[in-house]
Amino acid sequence: MGASERVIECEALTRSFPSGMALDALTIDAAPGEVLALLGPNGAGKTTTMRLLNGVLLPDSGTARVLGLDPWRDGEALRRRTGVLTENAGLDERFTALENLQFVGRLRGMSESEARTRGALLEQVDMGHRADVKVQGFSTGQRKRVALARALLHDPELLFLDEPTSGLDPAATRAVVDLIGSLAADHGRTVVLCTHFLGEAGKLANRMAVLFQGRLHAFGTPDDLAAELWSRFEVRLDLGAPASPPLIEALVTLPHVHEATATDRGAIVFTSERDDVPAVVAACVAAGSPVYGVDPRDPNLEDVYFAIEARAAVPA
Amino acid sequence: MSERTRTDWTAVRSIMGRDLLAVRRSKAVLLPMLLVPLLMLVLLPASVGFAANRGGLDPSQFLSFVPNGLAEPIGRYPEHEQVVILVLGYLVALAGDAFAGEKERKTLETLLHLPIRDLDLYIGKLLVGFVPSVAVSWIGFLLFCITANLTAWPTMHRAFMPTLLWAVMILWIAPGVAAVGLGVMVRVSIRVNNTQEAQQLGGAVVLPLVILAVAQTTALLLAGIWPTFLAGCVVWAIAIWLNVRGARSFTRDRMAARL
Repeated sequence: MGASERVIECEALTRSFPSGMALDALTIDAAPGEVLALLGPNGAGKTTTMRLLNGVLLPDSGTARVLGLDPWRDGEALRRRTGVLTENAGLDERFTALENLQFVGRLRGMSESEARTRGALLEQVDMGHRADVKVQGFSTGQRKRVALARALLHDPELLFLDEPTSGLDPAATRAVVDLIGSLAADHGRTVVLCTHFLGEAGKLANRMAVLFQGRLHAFGTPDDLAAELWSRFEVRLDLGAPASPPLIEALVTLPHVHEATATDRGAIVFTSERDDVPAVVAACVAAGSPVYGVDPRDPNLEDVYFAIEARAAVPA
Repeated sequence: MSERTRTDWTAVRSIMGRDLLAVRRSKAVLLPMLLVPLLMLVLLPASVGFAANRGGLDPSQFLSFVPNGLAEPIGRYPEHEQVVILVLGYLVALAGDAFAGEKERKTLETLLHLPIRDLDLYIGKLLVGFVPSVAVSWIGFLLFCITANLTAWPTMHRAFMPTLLWAVMILWIAPGVAAVGLGVMVRVSIRVNNTQEAQQLGGAVVLPLVILAVAQTTALLLAGIWPTFLAGCVVWAIAIWLNVRGARSFTRDRMAARL
């Protein structure tokens, strides 16, 4: 596969279950070395997408190529080249951490010694000291880290990570997020990250696909999505006191100001773009209001996500 | 690229190896598996034989010394039927765990994301139930033959077990009945969510088979070798039909859709 080719290309991927539509005409793609976040609440279709793209579920309709292969015709060959971290770690509690890795190693065609050597990955996820301990007593975070080591065992080209940080404490979350970041940035692996944690997606993802109830509502870089959704620029003014009604009236008559609202310490003004801010400040000064602070705020991932969610909730 | 069509025995062995290691490590599973055949096929026949050899006790009197609830089953069931019951008992326990256990332990999805063919996964799970059940019953029967020959030696002065008829019963019919039970149990295990449900539901389906098998094998012992062998062929035909159908209907997609 050439470097210019997409690692994932899927078009109009659709799958329903007796309980209803799980995924409705999903079209997305991913480039080599990219971290693609599938964002959405529970039941959005993230895990179904992951299972379809790894050839575990069959689609009702639609097409896909993953690592140049057809996931449903060449599923076994594809799964040799992908690594998966499932949402609930999926470790067998009857065995030790190392035995869990060795079992998967054998099924991936590794020799005993090779699987044991690759077991050193447990060190990389800070679980080397518990390699020979039964998984039964492990915390959620420890299980997730062992499962991540297992997903990396065969050095996969493509990683599917389903909620990799759910149930982790802040320190473990940071460690896992850093590890995932380095897998893509330093090792060129493509990562599909299913998550409902916006901070994690914001930190790691090159592009994000936002799903609600099985439908794709937005797809692109966080900046592209913000630009698409965010026609307004928010400015918080600290005036030392709530903005007076005449000042609010004066602000909304300015060109490019869409809305102005008084707050406890001043006002929130929505303009078209950043260049409108000096005119807003000048209007305040002209109206006799001292300006103690100006906080122009770019939309963050949360703003974008909730804007998409609000848009998704509106019936077509 | 097309998918492999040949069975990957390394994958099958790995799946079997992991589940059998878990059985070996679990005293709750392993002890009954060893003690029940020991009691039914060695200790009980040995004590009856020993009592008879001592001369002071008619074997039929032996039953008057055991609790009422046990006397009837001991008196009624010949050993070959107990072997069939043993096979099916272990089968219900082991095959019930095949897929339901994976679901209960939340390890099934991981398994589905691995590069194993659907058929290899199915075969691995079938053999996890079949091999230990049949192995324990055969070893148990071997020990029974040794016990029977040793205890009867003072009277008979020769080894009389196994007879050809018993051998056909244990080596041909019992595994066939096991394979029929397996075909039922694995399919039950796919459909339910935990091992307990699988064992209860499977037991309800498999138990009538046990009763039928016991009734048939008793009659077969009187009918001679060829009818017994042919009956075994019928049992194996049913077993193959059930398991081939099961394998054909087993797909990753179906399993994943139930997660």
